[in-house]
Amino acid sequence: MKEYFVLNGQILYWTLIAPFRGQPFKIGEVFHQMILIGTRALPMAALMSFSIGLTMAMQGANALKSMGGTSFVPYLVTLSILRELGPLIVGVIVIGRSGSSVTAELGTMKVSEEIEALQVMAINPVRFLIVPRVLAMMIMLPVLTVFGDCVGMVGGWSISHYALDFTTPAYIFNSLTRAEPWDLYSGLVKSVVFAWLIITIACHMGMGVEGGAEGVGQATTSSVVWSLLILLITNALMTAIFFFA
Amino acid sequence: MSEETPVIEVTDLVREFNGRRVLNGLSFKVMKGDTMIIMGGSGCGKSTLLRHIIGAMKPTSGSVKLFGEEITGMKEEELAHVRRRFGMLFQSGALLQSLTVGENVALPIIEHGKLDPSIVDLMVKMKLEMVGLTGFENLKPAEISGGMKKRVGLARALALDPELLFSDEPTAGLDPIMVSVVDILTQEMTRKLGVTAVVVTHDMTSAFRIGTRMIMLGTGPNQGKLIAEGTPDEIRASTNGEVKQFINGEPDGPVPLRLSKGDYVERLLGQPGGRKSYSV
Repeated sequence: MKEYFVLNGQILYWTLIAPFRGQPFKIGEVFHQMILIGTRALPMAALMSFSIGLTMAMQGANALKSMGGTSFVPYLVTLSILRELGPLIVGVIVIGRSGSSVTAELGTMKVSEEIEALQVMAINPVRFLIVPRVLAMMIMLPVLTVFGDCVGMVGGWSISHYALDFTTPAYIFNSLTRAEPWDLYSGLVKSVVFAWLIITIACHMGMGVEGGAEGVGQATTSSVVWSLLILLITNALMTAIFFFA
Repeated sequence: MSEETPVIEVTDLVREFNGRRVLNGLSFKVMKGDTMIIMGGSGCGKSTLLRHIIGAMKPTSGSVKLFGEEITGMKEEELAHVRRRFGMLFQSGALLQSLTVGENVALPIIEHGKLDPSIVDLMVKMKLEMVGLTGFENLKPAEISGGMKKRVGLARALALDPELLFSDEPTAGLDPIMVSVVDILTQEMTRKLGVTAVVVTHDMTSAFRIGTRMIMLGTGPNQGKLIAEGTPDEIRASTNGEVKQFINGEPDGPVPLRLSKGDYVERLLGQPGGRKSYSV
């Protein structure tokens, strides 16, 4: 636990302070990681968000039909995706595919003495390996979230249009007139917090690997389990803060 | 630094892992231009000792000085400064798998100097030429053999023209010709460029070929203690039974091949609490 907070401090130092003392991180590596962590997660994030938008529309229609409120379906879909499901679903996808791969990669580097070799060459592993991954995640998760929000709303539209007889303009109008910018922003604030948690947990678990292939496997599992757990708890806390504040 | 300051000075180095003493009061010096061989049986603490000298592990007690500076209490930043003056060849090569051979060698050059890319390219080619790997720049470490990885590791260790070179089992797993190549490379470094080398090995041919000073760590009751120190000739003439057994590669001697009969039966049937039930 202590080591995790030490790592957080080191990441902040190497991201915010060290570059101004002549020890910059590699910008090129940030972009490379953005592709690995973010761009490659696009198809899965899209598929998941679409199916969630679809499901929300069907369930919402079912519940609202009895009260004669099917016109509220677009609003329900948009609101729940922007505020809650968008950041959450994209976070879960990124934990499963990017967080785990970061842990496995760093863990393999640890057991094959690559991290030690970097230290002996006086290259700080936090600056060289972790900071680019952290920045890539902090940039790409909110981007993916916005993308997921859009695709999720398309999912809602497909049900509303084909099963509930909404015209496309009516769907858009119904979604956007009631949604406020803050609905989007609150989701994005969440995704930034999630990004930090996911990547720091992934890096912490990876750097802490000991004992060969088995250690890498265990670390990857705990990385995913802890990230998911902390993601869901943080999500509930943040929703509570937004709700009561 | 005056001529008399040892490049490495280890004093009363002790390291315990969960109460087990792996290094037990080691003291020795390595002078400039020496090739110090650290030898000893498996598990005697050779690699642990090396990790303490490069500052990757902190001792339980004792002191390690590199270039006259105490490194045991150093912060990461100060340590990084010292580390720029030495290179290390890891047992497995420890190349970064995500980078090509050329990028691996270029890494320390790019990280520690602001050089023009064309000069970096030239330096990488020179270092690879030196270890006989011209033309392999664009391959990934996964695409080359174990011996080649080790040579790339050596090229990387020498990339910044270090004053001090550490080698962890540089010849393990190499064919006899490659062993001589790595030995000759190490010798060239020390003789021509005045580099000091510390080589951990249990290859006796190579140890006597390149070593100018040798130390041997004991196993069993002498775990982690210095049982012999001297020039290769002194070590060859040593009367210590364990040293003789080790350099001649005899299976039985002070380090026993098998336990005596009484010990054997006792250990087999031993204390009931010590018995373990296996389930696979």
